[in-house]
Formats: sequence, structure tokens, C-alpha cells
Amino acid sequence: MPPRLRCPNLLCATSCYPSIRPSSLPRLARVSREFSQTSCQRATLRRRKFYEWLNGPGSLLKEPIPGSTNYLGAYDKYGNLVRARPGWTRKRPGDKKAEGEKNDVATIESEEQTPAGQEIIDELEMSVRRDEEKKNDARAAEQDDKLPPETAEDLRPFPQNKHFRSQPVLSEELREAIYQRVARDGMSVSLVSVEFGVSNERVGAVVRLKQMEKEWIAQGKKLAVPYSKAVLAMVPTTPYINPSLPENKGKRPITHEAINDLIVHPATRQQLFVPVSESRHFTRVDAGKAFDNDLLPADERIPHPELVQAERDIASGLSIEERRQLAEERMEKEQERRRQQESKRLEELKKVKTVAGRRWDFVFQDVNVESVGRDGRSPKGVGWRYGFPHEDRKKGQVKIPTKVEA
Amino acid sequence: MVLRIRLARFGKRHSPFYNIVVAHARTARNSKPLEVLGTYNPIPQPPRPGDTNGRPWKEIMLDSSRARYWVGVGAQPSDTVWRLLSMVGILEPKFRVGQIKNEVIKADSAAKSLIPPRTTTAAATETA
Repeated sequence: MPPRLRCPNLLCATSCYPSIRPSSLPRLARVSREFSQTSCQRATLRRRKFYEWLNGPGSLLKEPIPGSTNYLGAYDKYGNLVRARPGWTRKRPGDKKAEGEKNDVATIESEEQTPAGQEIIDELEMSVRRDEEKKNDARAAEQDDKLPPETAEDLRPFPQNKHFRSQPVLSEELREAIYQRVARDGMSVSLVSVEFGVSNERVGAVVRLKQMEKEWIAQGKKLAVPYSKAVLAMVPTTPYINPSLPENKGKRPITHEAINDLIVHPATRQQLFVPVSESRHFTRVDAGKAFDNDLLPADERIPHPELVQAERDIASGLSIEERRQLAEERMEKEQERRRQQESKRLEELKKVKTVAGRRWDFVFQDVNVESVGRDGRSPKGVGWRYGFPHEDRKKGQVKIPTKVEA
Repeated sequence: MVLRIRLARFGKRHSPFYNIVVAHARTARNSKPLEVLGTYNPIPQPPRPGDTNGRPWKEIMLDSSRARYWVGVGAQPSDTVWRLLSMVGILEPKFRVGQIKNEVIKADSAAKSLIPPRTTTAAATETA
């Protein structure tokens, strides 16, 4: 194969579009890129069109509208914002500076009242949105320049892929609220998950990360706040509805995601045909057993079985008082269980004594000599056993660690 | 016969593990002892998940009341066991355990005084 030849008319590309391309960049690049093997640097039709777009409709994307997503799908071919009214014009950066504070307030306001476009088909959500629409209509007269909330089309980052919708993330205020509810108020993760409509795992992650953030702040570490702000301004977020504020009275928090989805267990990935006699009641418990003997039924594997129980109570026609009482009993039981766990953990900790060494700690754990039993041969006894061969060469001994403590 | 509280080495090559045993002094190291008081894992483990200091640790299991009894009836601890038992306060420290403890405390307090510079600056501004 002959070596590739460089195109002789490299310079033409740079001279063709002095206004379009930043003039310094290509020349500098050329000096440092003598080895470039790029086959063709001429101005092709595609390239021309690309630069046309970059300087025309595409330039709008360079500076995102505050408090809005910055996706291609929100603009039409000519660079008009689809969801905006015909008379709407974008504010210049100069204007922004002039009314910077006002703008900030407006964006916060708009965040609070535009959970819109977050595309969760939910009745609650719809009702919230309807409220907003009403409000928006009322305000429309006085605020002509205000943008309507994002629609489903605006949340498409890739215009060719109609089915991809950008999913909302938790807003900063919501994350703080979740952390406060768990850390300060001491509510359980599942309760918080139900309250905010955020899945159990996500609540756990939020609490852990927030904890770390607070620790970093306490240590005086610098956080990448501008970065997080910039990113959060460009993706759809689930806002926090603070119920303590007077204007949010009667509103409920906006659900972030479906919280009670059944996690697919690996054992259930296979298709099973189980012959069952007609006379037999084949329940979900049996279905679970059919897949795997240790598999719990779906009713117990869902993240929030208590919600199902609450619905059952409603269906059985109990009055609201009775339901509340039942729910409180259940919660009491749950709390009792947790308290016992906690006390057990503390007891275990008490048994342990730590002595600081120079390079490591010596952790002394109290044990009982009697645990070997009368004949001194019980496997529960402390220490390496006498008179028993070690089993690590036996078949089926797994020596690769199967879990990592984190 | 002299009773000793000593270590009996178990484990594999390069992964030592000791039983803390009470045995007659003349018996073999790994012969069956009178009593196994506990275990000593001399390999430092990585810091535990909840540990904020993030220090490695060595695990020692010990029946301290039983150890106290054997020391009381005249069992003689070996040097290493003396070091371990003195850490839980069963014996008088002989091998600079206390000294190291003091050093660690000193280093800790030094580190603590380093961490929050803000309070000192705040105090400085107040005085100014």
C-alpha cells in the first residue's frame, strides 16, 4: 500500500472562510499538525452547510436559555424556539446583566412552577401541571416574554431518535430536603422514598453523597459548584415543593419516578412451564417457588409492600381511623425491629475494645472459652481447631472473595 | 511444671494466624493446649467501612476473664502475649505500649489542631 499523500491545497480551506472560522485556530493547528493525514480539507458542500448551521441556527445553542434544557429538538430548522410564542425574543446577555437579580428570582419561580415537561404520566403530575397552566394563563398577559414550559419534544436531545427522552434528575433543593428528612428528622429511607416519590436506592445514594459533601465542606475542600449548577441548568430536574411555604399549601411533592417497580430477579429470567392441577390454587408464592426455592414471592420483593397493604385496607372498606391505626401499628412494629437491631449493634460494639498502635489499631473482641463445649471439639469454639485437617484443599471451596465490604 | 500463655502458629505459609493458648512450657508449639484463650491475626486488615479514622487494624479475640484467671494462678505469658495482655490492662505494660499510646494521642491532637484553620482566623479577626 502506498503511503497516503497529503492534499496540496490545504491552505484553501483556511482562506475560504475567514469570517466563519476563528482565524487563529486552523493556522496554529496546521503548524503543530504537520503529520496530519486528513485526506481532504477542501470546502465540501457538507462542510459549508455545517458552518452555515453553526453560524445560523446552531449559534443559539451556544448560550443556553436560563432555566431550560438546551437540546436540538427544541428548535426548528430555522433556529426558532418551537414552544415560544411568535413574538418571543431572546434576551441579550446585556439585558441579563441589567436585571440579573430579577432574572434569578424568575428562574427559581419558574422552576417551582414548571415541573412541566418532565414526562411522567401521573395523575398527580397532571393535576400539578394543570394548576400551572392555569397560573401561566393568568400571568400570560403580564409576562409576554416568559417561556411556556417545555413539552415532550423539547426533551429530545437527539432529533433523529424520537423515542429518546431526557429523564429528569433530582434538583439540588430536593436532594437537600431528602437528606434533611433522613439525617435530621430520622425518618426511614422507605418512608422518605414514599414521601418524595424517589426510589429507595436513589434516596440511599442521595443521603450518602450529601453526607460526603457535608464532610468535604467541613474539611474545607473546594466543591465544583459552578459545574454542577451549569449541568443542572441544562437538564430537566424534578423540583422540590416545600410544603412549609404558604404558596405550596395543599400541594403534594412531584413524583420523580415509579417507586414500587418489581426488580427482575435473575432466577425469573427464564421461561417456565409448570403443569398445575386444576384443583390447586397456584398463587404468587407458588410462582416464586417454581422459579427458585429461595425466591420470595413478588409481593414481598417489591420495594414498598406497605403501600400494597394500605391499598388492601382501603379495598376492604375500613374507615380512615381504622386504617390509620393499622398503619401506625405496622410502623411501630417496624420501628421496634429497627431499635432492636440498633441496640444489638451497640452491644456488639461494646464488646470490642480498640487500642491504638503506632501504625494500626489492635481490636480486642471478647469471646468465651466455654464455646468449645465439654469435649473441646465444637466447631463454634474460638480459634483454630486441633485434630481437624484444614479444608481449603477440599472440593468446592471458594477462595475468591464473593463480596466486598463497602 | 511451668504454665505459659503463648501463641501457637496456625495458618499457611505467608499468612500466619495464632491461637493464644495456655500450655505447659515444655510441650510442643502446636500440641493440644490446656485451653485456647483466643486468637491473634497479625496481618493488618484494611480499614473497616464505618471507621472514620481509616486506620488498618489487627483482630484479636480474647477471653479476658479467663486470661486474668490464668495469670492469677501463675501462668507466665510470653513477650508477645505480655504485650497483648497489657493492652487490655491485664498486665503491667512492659513493651512501650503506653509510650506508643501517648505518641498516638499527641499526633491526633496535633492533627486536630491543624484541621480547622477557620476558627483561628475567626478568632484573629475578632481580636483585631
